[in-house]
Amino acid sequence: MTDKYEIDLNVRPGEDLLDEEMAEAPQVAVKRKGRGFQSGDQRGDGVNSSAFDKLGSNDDKTTGNALKSIEGWIVLITGVHEEATEEDINDKFGEFGEIKNVHLNLDRRTGYVKGYALVEYASFKEAQDAITEMNGAKLLDQTLTCDFAFVKPPTSDDRGRRGFSTRGRGGGRRSGRSNSPGRR
Amino acid sequence: MPSEEFYVRYYSGHQGRYGHEFIEFEFHADGRCRYANNSNYRNDSLIKKEMTVSPLMIKELKRIIEESEVMKEDDNKWPKKNIVGKQELEIRCGNEHVSFETAKIGSLVDVQGSDDPEGLRVFYYLVQDLKCLVFSLITLHWKIKPI
Repeated sequence: MTDKYEIDLNVRPGEDLLDEEMAEAPQVAVKRKGRGFQSGDQRGDGVNSSAFDKLGSNDDKTTGNALKSIEGWIVLITGVHEEATEEDINDKFGEFGEIKNVHLNLDRRTGYVKGYALVEYASFKEAQDAITEMNGAKLLDQTLTCDFAFVKPPTSDDRGRRGFSTRGRGGGRRSGRSNSPGRR
Repeated sequence: MPSEEFYVRYYSGHQGRYGHEFIEFEFHADGRCRYANNSNYRNDSLIKKEMTVSPLMIKELKRIIEESEVMKEDDNKWPKKNIVGKQELEIRCGNEHVSFETAKIGSLVDVQGSDDPEGLRVFYYLVQDLKCLVFSLITLHWKIKPI
């Protein structure tokens, strides 16, 4: 995927997205659709306001880029078969430590598993072991992908410029993102 | 994961006896996820949470949106926002950007009775799947288990 433009998403619908600097970059037309663009409504002070609660990022280098949630470490599992059960998840993931919580959400239309699971472990090591061992493993013939669900917030310095670090994950995985467009 | 343009925002709310009651959440391509929930009911105040999810979570979110095919829909025949409130769903995915606005939908009966039941059904189920994901993330990240 090429980065041909950069658009400030804070621009309100209806405002012209182009400014002088951006006009230099080759333009790719963005197809827009929906009444939300015409609506002159005042947006609430919802997600655009300040002062959000955050869990602080500890500067613990031993846990890489992962971030601890309030009671433990949350592992995200994707590629979960639609007929998988919580028991399947417990069987497979319970061997790395006691599972404190499992969310195996269902597709609201079909009633089958949506395709992802969230599993909570008490310790970083248990979560890391589960990720290392189960990433790429199979469950009901489908390949699982596993990683931490939460990471440390991007600092203002690297926001939008670097992907999430994969420090401490081993195996020299690349950062997983292409370069961002030039500075505006 | 390529750093393709990606953004999701959902809002549902109304003005009423307890002020501006709403829930809103958004995801940015870099993983920032914000959630806000407001009601003045019994002097409740605004809840605002921010967390950063991993690239795998964003990838899964994209998969859910892409598989729903909501980007092919159009809100021009959906019920207009009304006194009961409104919902907004804004998604930027690559070169496509939708910002849908419609009334609150109580149940599938409202969907079936609308002028675009197929399209509205896609919206209705996607919104539920997104909310379900966000509530799981919030619960696991923030909530202390009762003893």
